[in-house]
Amino acid sequence: MDNSGKEKEALALIAEAEKKLKSSQSFFGSLFGSSSKQEEACDLYVRAANMFKMAKNWCEAINCLNQAIEIYTDMGRFTIAAKHHITIAEIYETELVDIDKAIAHYEQAADYYKGEESTSSANKCLLKVATYAAQLEQYPKAIEIYEQVGTHAMDSTLLKYSAKDHFFKAALCHFCVDMLNAKLAVQKYEEMFPAFSDSRECKLLKKLLDAYEEQNMDAYTDAVKEYDTISRLDQWLTTMLLRIKKTIQEDESDLR
Amino acid sequence: MSSDFETYEQDFGTITADITNKIGRIPKISGEEKTQLVLNVDKQLEEVRELLEQMDLEVREIPVQSRAMYNSRLKSYKQEMEKLEKDFKRSRIAYSDEVRNELLGDDASSSESQLIKLREERAHLLDNTEKIERSSRRLEAGYQIAVETEQVGQEILSNLHSDREKIQRARDRLRETDANLGKSSRILTGMLRRIIQNRVLVFILGAIILLTIILAIYFNVRGR
Repeated sequence: MDNSGKEKEALALIAEAEKKLKSSQSFFGSLFGSSSKQEEACDLYVRAANMFKMAKNWCEAINCLNQAIEIYTDMGRFTIAAKHHITIAEIYETELVDIDKAIAHYEQAADYYKGEESTSSANKCLLKVATYAAQLEQYPKAIEIYEQVGTHAMDSTLLKYSAKDHFFKAALCHFCVDMLNAKLAVQKYEEMFPAFSDSRECKLLKKLLDAYEEQNMDAYTDAVKEYDTISRLDQWLTTMLLRIKKTIQEDESDLR
Repeated sequence: MSSDFETYEQDFGTITADITNKIGRIPKISGEEKTQLVLNVDKQLEEVRELLEQMDLEVREIPVQSRAMYNSRLKSYKQEMEKLEKDFKRSRIAYSDEVRNELLGDDASSSESQLIKLREERAHLLDNTEKIERSSRRLEAGYQIAVETEQVGQEILSNLHSDREKIQRARDRLRETDANLGKSSRILTGMLRRIIQNRVLVFILGAIILLTIILAIYFNVRGR
């Protein structure tokens, strides 16, 4: 009832926006103030997208946002285009559950932010990309992103307390690929960032590496449990640790 | 010099051992033997006191550097002797263990009191263990909260960082806009000036044309 009303409004807005765009291309439009027409058209598209979101019509909303993004990038205003990319990616993440497209949009947003020299916002998007990439087993990409963000965070006074978290995640991704990689990586991170070796995460990593070498699943489980009692493991971490544990089980069964 | 001191030390050791032995025996015996022992111990204490005095003189003859060690040893011997004297005095008045037992009733009651004591001690120890466990649990909880606080802090800091960048960007844009506004106001003043100039020119030209027309008419009329 209400939804269809909103949809009608949104469709009307789209029609108006398209009219504005067409008129700005004609002769008179270019004479009498063209750029403001484009901005108004963008605004209308964004409002239409909001209406669609409220009506839960996600596909249409994404269409509107895509068109708005095109116009914004034509005008050269990449920050606001990046913001819209993030909105689209969130819709894909939560409502339509299409992780690949979400990753693509987050990456695009991160590129735009980097172009506008806001590394912090770019890092936020990149982190999301890395989380999803690791979930989808695209480990090299995730490793690269985590290392990059970690090195960047090391230097900043505000961010250095989160650097160890990034290195931990990067090392876990290395671990999923290959154990030797993980060992080398942990050493490299310790050299780069001395405070990393004091953290509980690093100690956990070392215990996991030892348990993996000895193919001792109990030691692995114990170490993970111990870490869990102090700070609860979140969804992503549990998934990754479980994958590593499965590789231990496979190795054990291979030996038998 | 020091060898004399050492001989004195050895003598001191033997005599004090003997005294301790006798002091231990005194409460257990009575009568003639006791008085004999008491006199013996007295004599030995005298000997010990003389030994200490001689050791003192020895120490004074030793050069200053090594004196400190001998001084401390001498002090400890003096303290030992005082303790022996105290023990001696106490032993002369003390009752022996057997007499004590006779007075205070025998083994039967003492074992009961021992059991009660043991049970009390056990409860006390269990109490202590419980207290320790409680405090270690609280410490762990505190540690957990500290770790959570750290994580929250990390998030807040990264938010602050991104906000900082946004504010910086907004400030830069404002400065740009400000500069642009300044430029546009200058252009507008230029335009205004030109408008005024143009108007003045138009008036002047208009005046000249009028003048020319008037002159032309005038000459025409004059020419007739």
